[in-house]
Amino acid sequence: MNDPYSVLGVSPSASDDEVKKAYRDLARKYHPDNYHDNPLADLASEKMKEINEAYDAITKSREQGGGGSSYGYGGGAYQSQSAGQRQYTGANAQYVRIRNLINANDLAQAEAMLNAIPDHNAEWFYLMGSVCWRRGWMDQAGQYFRTAATMEPGNVEYRNAVQYMNQGGQAYRPAAGMDMMGGDAACNMCQNLICADCCCEMCGGNLIPCIGCR
Amino acid sequence: MYGYVRPVKGEMKISEFERFRGVYCGLCHELSRRYGPLSRFLVNYDFTFLAMLLAGPDDTKTCPRRCAAHPIKATDCLMACASLETAADMTVILGWWKMADGAQDGHGPRAAGYKAACRALKGACDKAAARQPAFAAAVEENLRGLRKLESEHCPNLDQAADRFASILRSIGAGERTPERQRITGELLYHLGRIIYILDAVDDLAEDMRTGDYNPLRYRFALAEGRLTPEQERELRTGLQLSHNAISGAYALMESNPYAGILTNIIYLGLPAATQAVFAGTWNAGAKLKRERSSL
Repeated sequence: MNDPYSVLGVSPSASDDEVKKAYRDLARKYHPDNYHDNPLADLASEKMKEINEAYDAITKSREQGGGGSSYGYGGGAYQSQSAGQRQYTGANAQYVRIRNLINANDLAQAEAMLNAIPDHNAEWFYLMGSVCWRRGWMDQAGQYFRTAATMEPGNVEYRNAVQYMNQGGQAYRPAAGMDMMGGDAACNMCQNLICADCCCEMCGGNLIPCIGCR
Repeated sequence: MYGYVRPVKGEMKISEFERFRGVYCGLCHELSRRYGPLSRFLVNYDFTFLAMLLAGPDDTKTCPRRCAAHPIKATDCLMACASLETAADMTVILGWWKMADGAQDGHGPRAAGYKAACRALKGACDKAAARQPAFAAAVEENLRGLRKLESEHCPNLDQAADRFASILRSIGAGERTPERQRITGELLYHLGRIIYILDAVDDLAEDMRTGDYNPLRYRFALAEGRLTPEQERELRTGLQLSHNAISGAYALMESNPYAGILTNIIYLGLPAATQAVFAGTWNAGAKLKRERSSL
């Protein structure tokens, strides 16, 4: 493993608070929520693991037998839940297979299977939207998600997808307001955080305590 | 070329501004050195960004140089290095093809100008294409694909943007490791999307007037050159999502000697350009004035 101090970008003489701050800044940057259904999610999660290990190593060596309390973002447990490995209870076996293909990033195969299905129900539109999203075709993704949510208004998964898109997703920014949405978006920061937290909780995670309670 | 990918000057440190100008001027000198003085007119902000993005830790040496635009006080220009050479080659290739496009479907004296420039720079473009065969192939293939979509009045905005974005993504393939290829490719793909869509918004009124293809016209079945607030919001959401993807990829990049400037461009410059395009203040006159005053 690399020198834990250089992983966090601090000097070995840094105070505990400085180490903690450096760790938090990096964890905010590589947080799995910033890589929701992102083709680079695997690289971000490696980075997150490296940071968690470095922080653990430093706190452990500083406490020297003081109980070895484990900080970190909860490592694997949290990340695996956010990486899109949700449990599906779709009745249609074909759709389950398509979802697996999408999760494995085999978008061409997933799209081919979707195109071979003659009946387009809400789930078909949702999955088509997921394929587009992964591909970076955001405009189409939005149209498909909205169609799915309109066809089946009670479905939480479809509604969340639309809501997540409408609020402009989630990403790391060095400071507030550095986005493409213009004026009012900056004021919605807190609202976004709360929405993102709700989304997270849907898939078993919890964003706010994640950032706030360390 | 498009000019949307630029820093917000007021938020730069003076040292950063000087280094940014050094890369811009360095690119201009490099174009002239490799492809003759005429190719200097192709220098632009987008490929200045590319030269910085691709820069390795040592791609920072400068030397003072004078030119027609800075005849008295020499500018500290970035000296020839791998990233600057790549950026210069690609500037010529994409610049030439864009002009060829303009010559084919432009109108009147403008098209004639493009035609003449294309003829004059054909040798330079061939030379550059021999140095960057993969990029040249990607440009040719995707611009041809885009042309076909245009002739079919393609209503799928993503599909049209994908052609231009794929050109930029192909640049990532030249990176050293598979990991970096993925990261740079992803960043540039979404940057390409943003450039293409902003350009479509910017040109909408003009294209509606001349009847030229504009993806937004068919995407939203527009009768006149204006977007409703709802359509605008939808577009901006899509741009935000692409910006998020850029953010995610940028965070995964290794440390870069121009990090401060790149951060300014990504987090301040792109949102400011977007704001200006949607507000309708990014018109040709303002564009020219900005270019004159910024460097």
